[in-house]
Amino acid sequence: MPQSNFKRELAKAAPEPLLPIEKKLIAWSFGTGIVLLLVLAVLNQYLPK
Amino acid sequence: MSDTTATLAPASGDALSEDWLAVAVGLLLFGLSLALLGGADLLGWTVSTSVWTDPKTALGTVTKGYGGLGGASALVLTYLVLLGLLSAGTFLLKANVGRFAAAFTVVFWIAYASWILGSYAHFAVVTPADYQKFGISWSLKLTNEGGYIFALIAGLIIANGFPRLAAWLSEAIRPELYIKVAIVILGAFIAVTAAARLSLASSLLVRGFAAIVEAYLIYWSVVYLVARKFFGFNREWAAPLASGISICGVAAAIATGGAIRARPQIPVLVSSLVVIFAVVEVLILPFLAQTFLWREPLLAATWMGLAVKTDGAAVAAGGITESLILAKSAAEGINYQPGWILGTTAAVKLFIDVVIGFWAFLLAHIWTNHINRVPGAARAKVSEIYERFPKFIFGFVVTFAIGLTLALSSAPATNAKLTAAIGEANGYRVIFFILTFFSIGVLSNFRKLWEEGIGKLAAVYLVSLFGFVIWVGLMISWLFFAGVKPPLAG
Repeated sequence: MPQSNFKRELAKAAPEPLLPIEKKLIAWSFGTGIVLLLVLAVLNQYLPK
Repeated sequence: MSDTTATLAPASGDALSEDWLAVAVGLLLFGLSLALLGGADLLGWTVSTSVWTDPKTALGTVTKGYGGLGGASALVLTYLVLLGLLSAGTFLLKANVGRFAAAFTVVFWIAYASWILGSYAHFAVVTPADYQKFGISWSLKLTNEGGYIFALIAGLIIANGFPRLAAWLSEAIRPELYIKVAIVILGAFIAVTAAARLSLASSLLVRGFAAIVEAYLIYWSVVYLVARKFFGFNREWAAPLASGISICGVAAAIATGGAIRARPQIPVLVSSLVVIFAVVEVLILPFLAQTFLWREPLLAATWMGLAVKTDGAAVAAGGITESLILAKSAAEGINYQPGWILGTTAAVKLFIDVVIGFWAFLLAHIWTNHINRVPGAARAKVSEIYERFPKFIFGFVVTFAIGLTLALSSAPATNAKLTAAIGEANGYRVIFFILTFFSIGVLSNFRKLWEEGIGKLAAVYLVSLFGFVIWVGLMISWLFFAGVKPPLAG
């Protein structure tokens, strides 16, 4: 598709609701990320500076 | 938009990839530099640039032993060697060698001229002592690494003012190749630097894991949600966009586009956007870091690695930040050992790169099994993890391992030679950085991108990057690196 059509495509794109699998991906990624960051932050206290 | 596909894939069939070419070139230059350990100085003739007021003193050779060659001759020789080396590489990429050679000639001379200009004392000098040494009363205080900015601006002028010249240069506009060669060489430099303070280096690596968690799990999920729910992008656009903004710009957008079987033009357009924003960040963030974070050098370094979203721009931003912060600290009487800020930024960025293959495989699995499940169509394969893995990291690991082994096992006299050898290779790292900056500039045609409908994509990028990524990156950097300082010099 010519790149100049992308502008029209993006402007006219029909809404595509989030699928359950997408919601799961977002939730699990974010949740796991927060938990891991907290664990690493605690570990960080014991690392030499 | 200049064709970024020249930087993304070989021309045809059984051609070498840019990643493997970068490994080969980087290892070759590193290997040649190590000859110094055996008493043979194979790279000492390479051009070096010093801060100057008199243009005749701007250029010299890396080692004094080759001083008789003269700076101008060293520059010509360096150009000829790089022309030969990279033309041979272009042949292996099965690209047009003649076109590359002609374009590279223009690229090299404009880029290096920018570097020489950036070393002019009135642009580069920072400390009062250097003001006196060069007999000047004013300076822009950019440090000599301001030359990177001049190279970037030169590229931007060509991209936006002379688009036909930019198109003609495209065969040699390969920022991904140039930065990957630089990163392979950088491995040894970081290793020798880290060897002096192994416990600090180890803890930096552990802290670097936080960067992976942040980029893939936190950034990606938020940006994907913003793109899908608030800007109304469909999945084909949102996934490469989320990867480009969160992870590693060009490589991640391309890997994700391939993983979800998006149309090839989409990740290329996203990549173009990543480059534009990286340019803006490189022009702003290092100076913000110098102003507000000079007392926290490694925090600033991490911030560059988390906030700037292409390998080239991030690592180079780390280099500029190091130069600016070391200069400001020195002016305050604090002399940090060079290499730690750049090394930390590079390590953070490379940690993020390493996981691209795994993330692409995960997305491919989800897309081919749950979202775009087509009967009879190929499913995601585990081999995609290796296929998507940035191969240039192997080169970095090799030079890092060899550098570290030599640094830890050698006698002091040998270590001094090792430092000198790495210094010679580092000269090429700087040249490849310059080529990267210039190339990034040439790829950034703002008007053409706007015409191609990048406006809505740019809006997501703007909101995500300046509304979330940069500030969360700063917060995470503060959480893990506040109070962690590089060793002092001497």
